[in-house]
Amino acid sequence: MSLAQALLTGDPGYLPSRREEAWRWTDLRGLIRVLPPPAPAFCGDLPLASFAAPFPTEEVVIVDGQGPTGLDIPAGETRRISLRLINAAAGAGHVGRVRVSLEAGARAVLLQTHEALAGGYVGETQIDISLGDGARLERLVLADDREDAVSVTISDVRLARGAVFNDAVLTTGARRQRLETRLTHAAGESEARLLGLYRLAGRRHADLTSLIEHESPGSASDQLVKGTVDGQSRAVFQGRILVRPGADRTDARMGHHALVLSDTAEVDAKPELEIYADDVSCAHGNTVGTLDDEALFYLRQRGMSEARARAFLTEAYVSAVLDGITDQDLQTVARAWLAREAAP
Amino acid sequence: MPATSKTAAQVLELERYKHGFITDIDQDVAPRGLTEETVRFISAKKDEPDWMLAWRLEAFARWRALEEPNWARVDYPPIDYQDIHYYAAPRAGEGPKSLDEVDPELLATYAKLGIPLSEQAVLAGVEGAPRYAVDAVFDSVSVVTTFKAELAAVGVIFCPMSEAIREHGDLVRQYLGSVVPVSDNYFACLNSAVFSDGSFVYVPPGVRCPMELSTYFRINAEKSGQFERTLIIADRGSYVSYLEGCTAPMRDENQLHAAVVELVALDDAEIKYSTVQNWYPGDAEGRGGIYNFVTKRADCRGARSKVSWTQVETGSAVTWKYPSCVLRGDHSTGEFYSIAITNNRQQADTGTKMIHLGAHTRSRIISKGISAGRSSSTYRGLVSAHPKAKGARNFTQCDSLLIGPHAAAHTTPYVEARNSGAQFEHEATTTRLSEEQLFYARQRGLTQEEAVQLLVNGFVKDVLQELPMEFAVEAQKLVAISLEGSVG
Repeated sequence: MSLAQALLTGDPGYLPSRREEAWRWTDLRGLIRVLPPPAPAFCGDLPLASFAAPFPTEEVVIVDGQGPTGLDIPAGETRRISLRLINAAAGAGHVGRVRVSLEAGARAVLLQTHEALAGGYVGETQIDISLGDGARLERLVLADDREDAVSVTISDVRLARGAVFNDAVLTTGARRQRLETRLTHAAGESEARLLGLYRLAGRRHADLTSLIEHESPGSASDQLVKGTVDGQSRAVFQGRILVRPGADRTDARMGHHALVLSDTAEVDAKPELEIYADDVSCAHGNTVGTLDDEALFYLRQRGMSEARARAFLTEAYVSAVLDGITDQDLQTVARAWLAREAAP
Repeated sequence: MPATSKTAAQVLELERYKHGFITDIDQDVAPRGLTEETVRFISAKKDEPDWMLAWRLEAFARWRALEEPNWARVDYPPIDYQDIHYYAAPRAGEGPKSLDEVDPELLATYAKLGIPLSEQAVLAGVEGAPRYAVDAVFDSVSVVTTFKAELAAVGVIFCPMSEAIREHGDLVRQYLGSVVPVSDNYFACLNSAVFSDGSFVYVPPGVRCPMELSTYFRINAEKSGQFERTLIIADRGSYVSYLEGCTAPMRDENQLHAAVVELVALDDAEIKYSTVQNWYPGDAEGRGGIYNFVTKRADCRGARSKVSWTQVETGSAVTWKYPSCVLRGDHSTGEFYSIAITNNRQQADTGTKMIHLGAHTRSRIISKGISAGRSSSTYRGLVSAHPKAKGARNFTQCDSLLIGPHAAAHTTPYVEARNSGAQFEHEATTTRLSEEQLFYARQRGLTQEEAVQLLVNGFVKDVLQELPMEFAVEAQKLVAISLEGSVG
């Protein structure tokens, strides 16, 4: 069952429903009765990216699932790439797949933007990422979908020996949006950091799902997701860390922290640990709460309006996630994105 | 295996699981299989009123339409529900009027298990220990309930469920199935159709139950299942502490235990429910053992009511159990303290649900899982706050300890928050025993096994201290026995 399968066959019977454990909080079958027609070929001019990377960069553009299929970075090279996934056709469906592979010792910084020129689209994109021995990739994803869109993005990441993957996903949700990351520590001594940040309002929905698999010894995973829900929005966090037999000396941490800002908003979380090796250190933490009344009172006393004080505190709450971005340019882009979202 | 070494192996095994003996007693047994006739047979045996039979038959009809759940992280061969005796009871004439009339074989069994059935008896070796009343359930029937008269003097009803259905029909009818509805889940539905005995407790308004109440469950008959049903009602402003224990003989076959426990706490009432579960876990190779598929739920129906579950799970081949609290009353409180130990080939999927419905409801979950050998232990829990549960609070801590490279430990918590006033905190860790701490303890002259026991007891201390004192001592020993042979 997948959205891609449903879009390719036109059969809504393939849509994931809440009866499936992995989709219990992101029901597509109940939402989509009829699948939209496939997107026509795009012709026209593309606008400039709203968050253009502030560095000399090569640009890879995929419009409605169409575009280059692969991006290969040879051994030892260093690249800065902007990957733009553009939804152009209104009310159309599309499926796309792109490969990003770094050979041994290659390095890359990737800015991945999800952009919309029209609304009502239904799309699934899969990004296959592979890192060779000792390769390093830092990625920032800005998932700017329309509020009436349905969008699923799956990142499948495979890390070879000693590879380092640093990932940050920032989103404002969609009508239904799923950002799924499946990451495998395949050959040991690799490191992954998965950061996530969501700011949801209105009737938006965002689902951050991840599966981190430790197949081999000595790897580390560190995941931190923070977000806020307002209005009638709904955030879903499903994180799973799986440590397979023999993956000794695994060090895995997972944290998810959410603020619920309205009585009609909802947060659903399932942080899972599944462990089959004993020489490990794994932990997860999950909190759901609301703004601290005392802190609000303090700021209001200092002359801030209630709206300003709330915006100030929520921005401070989520922005800690961005400290984990190591590339300075990506960090600047991420902070600009957050500032735009936080503007009252 | 030659006969002598087989015997030697059995003796070794008996040393590990000392409750594994079989009582040879004359029994009344329902024929194997499950049909409407079986349900009528059980109901007739219990001399039940018509409404009860109708209730059972409806449950049976619904059960036939249900499918066995498979979402738990446990793995066992399909159960043949037609190959089980749904009723087994020691043969008796009229039913014993006093202890003197109880079959001496049975009394000997309970003496061997260390359960004081005589009202004068106190726990061996504990001077001035508090008295506690016991309801002893042997296979499908309650054989004796102690201190009934003394409890009745303060208005507390403590009796076998079958007796309650006959004598306190109105109370049973009002509350039975009100916490766990008939078709709540597959095993609860099966239980509703064929439940045999269990305990019934009613504590009247304002009464603090003068002693600990306890039920001791024993499976003895071969090829039988135990389906007990327990219902505890704490009326306004009352308090009761209840403890259950359970054991079974060692057999090569798997036996099914599918119980339902319902607790109802009205305004300002408090129920403390403790379990020391020590069903036969099967042998080191995973042969035999009890399938423990139990539905336990408390309804904190009244304002400011409180229910506290404490469980020490060391037995059973497969455990599927989630004692839960529905926090309906404003300002009500739910607590869950659990130790789950699995060794050899045992599998446990256990945890709790805290459903916050009322305003300012609070809950706390402390779960300690220990897996050794080739066993697997899963914590599965749900904490949810509904839109009206303003100011709901939860704190959850689940820690897992792994002993040995082949053990598995999992944590699957679900959190659903649907209002801005709820505050939920959850933390979980999975580690193995610290080499440094083990080294330190060994250096002080402890053997490897003693050192492990010491560290494990430290790991589970937060839960042990929630148990009534005399059981905490027993539970601590049980923890040590369960882990025997897991370090080498």
